[in-house]
Amino acid sequence: MDFGSFLAAPEIKVKVITYRDIFQDKAILENRFGEEYKDLSAVIKLDHADLKQLDVKKGETVILKNSFGRVVVKAEESGYETPHKGIAYMPKSPWSNMLVSDETGGTGVPKFKDISVTVTSAKGEKVTELML
Amino acid sequence: MEKNYHVCTGCGLLCDDIEVESEDNIVNKVYTACRVGVAHMKEARRGEADFLVDNKPVDEATAIREAASILKNARNPLIFGLGTSTSETQKIAIELAKKINATLDDTSSFCLGPLAEALIQDKLKTCTLDDVRNKADAIIYWGTDPSDSHPRHLSKHSYFPRGSEKQRGWEEERTAIAIDVRKSHTAKICGNYFFQIPPKGDAEFIDALIAGLSGKLPKTSYNYPPKKILELANILKGAKFGVIFVGRGLIYSLENLEPLFKLMKILNEKANFHLIPMVSSYNTMGFNENLFAETGYVNSVKFENGTAKHGPEYSVVESLKAKSVDAALIIGSDPLLILPGSIAKKMLEIPVISMDHCETLTSKHSKVYINTAISGVEAGGSAIRMDGVKVSFEPVIETNHPSEEVILKKIMEAL
Amino acid sequence: MTNVMELYQMLPKTNCKKCGKTSCMAFAVALMAHELTPEDCPPLKDETKYRESYEKISELFKPSEGATETGLIVHEDLCFGCGNCVVACPPNVANDPYGVGSGNAPTNTNKLVLAVENGVVKAQNLEECRRFGKNKILCNGCIVTCPVEAIEFV
Repeated sequence: MDFGSFLAAPEIKVKVITYRDIFQDKAILENRFGEEYKDLSAVIKLDHADLKQLDVKKGETVILKNSFGRVVVKAEESGYETPHKGIAYMPKSPWSNMLVSDETGGTGVPKFKDISVTVTSAKGEKVTELML
Repeated sequence: MEKNYHVCTGCGLLCDDIEVESEDNIVNKVYTACRVGVAHMKEARRGEADFLVDNKPVDEATAIREAASILKNARNPLIFGLGTSTSETQKIAIELAKKINATLDDTSSFCLGPLAEALIQDKLKTCTLDDVRNKADAIIYWGTDPSDSHPRHLSKHSYFPRGSEKQRGWEEERTAIAIDVRKSHTAKICGNYFFQIPPKGDAEFIDALIAGLSGKLPKTSYNYPPKKILELANILKGAKFGVIFVGRGLIYSLENLEPLFKLMKILNEKANFHLIPMVSSYNTMGFNENLFAETGYVNSVKFENGTAKHGPEYSVVESLKAKSVDAALIIGSDPLLILPGSIAKKMLEIPVISMDHCETLTSKHSKVYINTAISGVEAGGSAIRMDGVKVSFEPVIETNHPSEEVILKKIMEAL
Repeated sequence: MTNVMELYQMLPKTNCKKCGKTSCMAFAVALMAHELTPEDCPPLKDETKYRESYEKISELFKPSEGATETGLIVHEDLCFGCGNCVVACPPNVANDPYGVGSGNAPTNTNKLVLAVENGVVKAQNLEECRRFGKNKILCNGCIVTCPVEAIEFV
């Protein structure tokens, strides 16, 4: 039992790994602004233990926040056999891009694969819309 | 029945064996292509071409005039995109950039650019995808998941098919190895040959692998079982024609390409290894090669009175951050979607001309939007595949949407 | 899907041998292996007292959406047309070595068991599939090569 579970809204820190999903690619070709693309891209796949600690059920929305942005996406269970507490997976999308640092050290390469966020339950808030 | 094969321009594989059934210029059925290819081919739609200025419909001449005026009045315009344009279009874009002293860049500056550069400059050994099919016995997918990004990769070229020197294909003569931070679909297919390493652990893994290949004890700070690394080293040592497919997962994890150069050097001392980058758009390699032929650089150039300067400060990301560009012509790309939010929003502060075959996040915030034909489906041309092989293609259906080539030429004339 | 015991419970259990097997249990086994059909049991098919059982058994063995006599189902919502199964299928390779066997488009689809159409794999010509027929084997080429478990044998 840690004190996190006594807070009004438990929050955890995770590292986000982005990946590419073929159905997402297909959805963006069919309708970039459609529901299917949003459903496939505005998601974060969390470890079962992390979901429990957050007190969030799969399918509910969560807030992802760091110093570069704040987005609301759907939380799902990752389904990977090996547990991966503290690491979460998001399909690469404008939602994941909102959380990428603008620090490039002058190289022109943003840190796409180096994202850290705090996750909290969104308590029913809807997924962020795509307009900047 | 005569086979009429088309080329699919959905991803970097440029599959050239696609049969298409179409009627009245609408694609009905697509054989052999994967889901992404089918979605790409069926993207073509009827309807009048759109030309929008300030999100209001105008005619073609007005749109071209506005675009030319934006570029003329800019001190340092940016031309970006071109990964999904034919080589012919790219060459015209380079001419245009020279004419207006523009900054010219494509997505490779924050993707696989350094790797493409090393390959074009012959610093790394490479081969074609057909060589892979015919000869490869050890295949490594490092930091890439072809099952999701290039779906037919394993079935058409790298792992499953029979080749002229690999008659018994994957069952007996090929080993597929995946090295990644996540158990991707490709990793699942590789079964026991999947090496899961922690994020940013690639450089250490390469060092450990080099140690293993030299008969030393492979050590990593995250205690990856040395026995497994030695096993991998043994497989690689015995390879007669090995191939490493490198994706953004590996490139983003390394500070620079030095570890990869070291690894390829030692792999070629002990065995025979080649490297192919997993380029995702069908002609990003073409842009790198075309620009290199013209300027000696593969991306991130700034033209000044006919000569080209090069450096990371001229990449799209740095240019936007430093606000050194004051207008942008985006061709076939959607930077507001693919760039980090904090950088993408700098684009909202400058006038943007967007040329694309459909509405994108960028086009919705552009001053001028020109709807163009989809290259490969509605317009023909040539492109360079991810392994450097040139592929030419004809349009599958006809359309009255202008091609990118035509529009760029008109903009150049209007300047 | 069902099992031999459940099937046996629905049969006449008279061992009349009209199906050619020595007992109803043997018939149940043959039914399960798709070697015989419910119609091969005359009492089941013709007699009214077995009508309900006949309909139930027929339902179980009716080719369901996408399933075929070999029990092969393609989950179309999972399949994304990667073509791994097409290239790995042994009869495919044997019948079209320079086409699908080498990773290319089929030179002709007449004898192919698996082919990709509109981005999804389709099963056809099941008489060529190794899991069907008298000398069937438990070939699983298409199952192990699928990255998303879209092909199943029920």
